[in-house]
Amino acid sequence: MTLPKRSRALSVACLVVATAALALSGCAKSETSDQAGGDSSQGAQVVQTPTASAATGSGCSLTAYGAPKLDLKNAVVGFSQSEKEANPFRIAETQSIKDEAAKIGVKKLLTTNAQSQLSKQISDIQDMLAQGAQFLIVAPLNSDGLEPALQAAAAKKVPVLTIDRKVNATACKDYLAFLGSDFVEQGKRAADAMIKATGGTGKVAILLGSSGNSVTTDRTKGFVDQVAAQAPGIEIVAQQTGEFARDKGQQVMEQLIQSKPDITAVYAENDEMALGAVTALKAAGKAPGKDVKVVSIDGTRNAVQALANGELNAVIESNPRFGPLAFATAQKFYAGEGIPEDVIIADRAYDASNAKASLGGAY
Amino acid sequence: MNPTSSLTAPGTGTTPSAPTGSGPAADRGRADVSGRERLAALVQRQGVLAVLLLVVVIASFVYPTFATLDNARGVTVQASFLAVVALGMTLVIITGGIDLSVGSVFALGGVLAAWASQWGILPALLVPLVACGTIGLINGLLIARAGMAPFIVTLASLLGARGLLLALTDEGATTYLVPKGSAFAELGQGSIGGFGYPILVALVLFAVGGVVLQRTSFGQTLFAVGGSSDAATLMGLPVARAKVTVYLLSGLLAGLAGAVNAARLSSGVTIIGAGMELDAIAAVVIGGTLLVGGAGSVSGTLWGVLLLAVIQNLINQIGTLNSSYQSVVSGGFLILVVVAQRYLSRSRSTV
Repeated sequence: MTLPKRSRALSVACLVVATAALALSGCAKSETSDQAGGDSSQGAQVVQTPTASAATGSGCSLTAYGAPKLDLKNAVVGFSQSEKEANPFRIAETQSIKDEAAKIGVKKLLTTNAQSQLSKQISDIQDMLAQGAQFLIVAPLNSDGLEPALQAAAAKKVPVLTIDRKVNATACKDYLAFLGSDFVEQGKRAADAMIKATGGTGKVAILLGSSGNSVTTDRTKGFVDQVAAQAPGIEIVAQQTGEFARDKGQQVMEQLIQSKPDITAVYAENDEMALGAVTALKAAGKAPGKDVKVVSIDGTRNAVQALANGELNAVIESNPRFGPLAFATAQKFYAGEGIPEDVIIADRAYDASNAKASLGGAY
Repeated sequence: MNPTSSLTAPGTGTTPSAPTGSGPAADRGRADVSGRERLAALVQRQGVLAVLLLVVVIASFVYPTFATLDNARGVTVQASFLAVVALGMTLVIITGGIDLSVGSVFALGGVLAAWASQWGILPALLVPLVACGTIGLINGLLIARAGMAPFIVTLASLLGARGLLLALTDEGATTYLVPKGSAFAELGQGSIGGFGYPILVALVLFAVGGVVLQRTSFGQTLFAVGGSSDAATLMGLPVARAKVTVYLLSGLLAGLAGAVNAARLSSGVTIIGAGMELDAIAAVVIGGTLLVGGAGSVSGTLWGVLLLAVIQNLINQIGTLNSSYQSVVSGGFLILVVVAQRYLSRSRSTV
């Protein structure tokens, strides 16, 4: 039996928790790297597949999709961001969409942010449709579960272009097309860079991204398969999640240094975790980049700077500047061209040799 | 809470509109404050509805795309899942407890429903209900029989249910899909006059919940338990049974909401439900239910849920506001309500 007084204290405690969470969830740490988003003239996305010549002819056309013709200059365009703009990738992605919309003179750009809540992303998309959005660019939070939003868009004949993550649905019917990187390929390239940095032998720890995220799964698969195929001398001794966050990456690395002191290399599935790992290594008296090799994916400005300083060994880019390519794809679509199901962009790779020169193109 | 009022008028808690059984001592001095007290009770019960209506009316004039049928459909379907979860939370909070596990249980219910949907609509509903009901039952038994603090018990099951979900889905890598066009998918995606079945489910549950709470002895027992658990025991009310039942119901409702949500999303998405318990608590408190227990209503919770949903919708309508402000506005409302509650309950405790 709970005494009233105790239960009151308890209730007050959870009220504090509830209020704090409500109030603070909006004010999470914001990444303030200088000019996050980078110089938009540099580091533009380049389509890798299909090549420009192959892109024409086939694919999803205006008539196949059944959308009404539209001049983007007179159109209301909606952009649904998936996660808080608290990391450089999301900051650069949103900024790039906004910049490009302003550049080509879209009548109105609606932007929403789902704050990592799937239910919010669904209502965000429905809200934008209710506000008259005629073309939607969506960065899906999850591959599954956006069906109600896609159906609502299809019912209004509003094309949906997904960027950076793919949805499990039928292209040209449930959504128009997908623009993004090949995450398995990024993992593979990270493995190649790791083999080069370590000379093909060593004990590697992997800092995984968030559990249940397709990006995590793909970047792990690409890396693990490539290492197994190309470098039998590399042993993967630990795989732990750092949830794509710098503080988690640091925490996991601190524990790994204690439990597996013989680790010679770290593969971080994003830059933030890599930077956390670098901090942990330095605190433990090890030289990151030398005693322990570090390879990561994303290409944020802070990571490329660390690379130039010799604290990282390689960074595989995952280019977030979807604005120009997204609107170019929309323009092509409304000009009657066919849009392929997957438009895969070419990501660059940074290493010690090009880090300083590439700093301007990092985000 | 004032134990005397619970003893003399069990079930009505601090509601002053039921003077039957009040002792003569309580009657003295009641006349002077009854007007103010009645106003306080009215604000407590219907204040959120007034705020909701005000916000809706203003928004309808300011934003031409707000008061459209399309928008109403979208907002209400989305709100119906939180509403069902918050219904269970209302019952728990009225008894003076708290259920932090509902977000995880909601997600677990969704995954189990999507997994079981391959065998038809019945397993798709039964499997999550049994599993989530069991979690609720365990919560209830530990709290009522073993006398453990609800906060800790349900925090443990929050973690446990999330862990179970990750284990079932291979750390979230597997997403079970609901067969397209199945009766179960229809439950989440079908609609009457454009208003989805989930809304209907929520409305029916709220109607039943309202009747149970206000018109049955079980409902009255919940108020008595929340008013003063000790006094309710002394009166011979089945306190432990009532407590076990509310946690069981909370688990069942969260599981059901998760299942219907999975039907709507066509898949057992693993990343949902995190933080949902806090939204539910916020909606319940905004709806005028006292966090210390003993007073509250399910209708208030419904308005609270709708208010939160409308705020989210309005932030999108405004467009220029960063969506983080949604949390700021919701948090602001919560503080306002708590301050108002504190003031109102003080004015009443002078009786």
